[in-house]
Amino acid sequence: MNRGEGSFEVTPLVAAAHELKAPLALMRQLALRLGDETISDGERQRLLQQTVLTSERALRLTSDLTKAARLDSALFQLEPINPDQLCRDVVSELQPLFQAYGRSVAVKGRRHPLLLVANRDLLRRILLGFSDNALHYSQPGTAVHLQIQAFKQSGVVRVGVRDFGPALSSDMWRTLQKKLDSAPQTIHARPESSGLGLFIASQFADAMNGRIGAVRHKDGATFYVELQASNQLSFL
Amino acid sequence: MTRVLLVEDDAWLAEVEASIISDAGYEVLIAPHAPAAIDLVDSFHPEVIVLDVLLAGSTAFALLNELQSYSDTGMVPVILCTNIADQFDAKKLKEYGVMKVVDKTTMHPSDIIAAIRSVL
Repeated sequence: MNRGEGSFEVTPLVAAAHELKAPLALMRQLALRLGDETISDGERQRLLQQTVLTSERALRLTSDLTKAARLDSALFQLEPINPDQLCRDVVSELQPLFQAYGRSVAVKGRRHPLLLVANRDLLRRILLGFSDNALHYSQPGTAVHLQIQAFKQSGVVRVGVRDFGPALSSDMWRTLQKKLDSAPQTIHARPESSGLGLFIASQFADAMNGRIGAVRHKDGATFYVELQASNQLSFL
Repeated sequence: MTRVLLVEDDAWLAEVEASIISDAGYEVLIAPHAPAAIDLVDSFHPEVIVLDVLLAGSTAFALLNELQSYSDTGMVPVILCTNIADQFDAKKLKEYGVMKVVDKTTMHPSDIIAAIRSVL
């Protein structure tokens, strides 16, 4: 099938509209289901919780978009941050969403990692975005892991989000690699999303003198951000 | 009971749609992605497939091509249920066994049942 026909250049605005379609459509269906008088009270409570959690995911995207739009004019304080503590904060924030989807999320790795230099809010947003993505790709019953690795020789700390799901095909992997360092893609050229989340994460990483990347595994993928290690006191 | 295979990667939307289809008297199984759908086509022998387009992993088109590769599965009517319904030409989709396109952003629960009835 020639799916190139009718494809169009996707600006961040179009990509954002597209990315918001899915949660809005889901919330609408959940609301319509809530209107069914035959459902049980337990089912009603579950649908209400799903509606709230879905709206929160959509709101995170809108918040990231406005933040990304102001990156040029804003001054972001970079400071030494303990990535382990930040990862634990992110896990606490996401626990209800993951539980509702029948998945878990946990921090794996060094308990006393090197400190890294970052803006706490931007790094938190990157990890929330990667975790949201991992939730979507992980299999029910599996865990998503936030992992911290220090590369002492290069003075870099890598914070990654590992999901366990279907392996990415080589074609999809190539598409993904393009998304990692480019603007949102033409909708028809992407396997599942416009790459807006990666684009935003890339901008946030740039603002902290860092970079994002991905590693393909047999059973899933890891998306990571690399940031400079701090020269200040480490917890080693 | 008519067997319906629902291919939808959003677990919550899949639950809602499966409940609607089940309440209407159909037997329904959910596949969260294309490889799972291919397995279920072989074991469940669906009479209708309700298919999301933008799946995690391979898109719906990989599955449609797979279905069209075999004479028996190529006969199973497919209903596309998608957020990007406005981007497809219904006539061209018929070559891939797609008999109906339902717009997820505007559909009502009864629309999915009406679509299933119309292709049986």
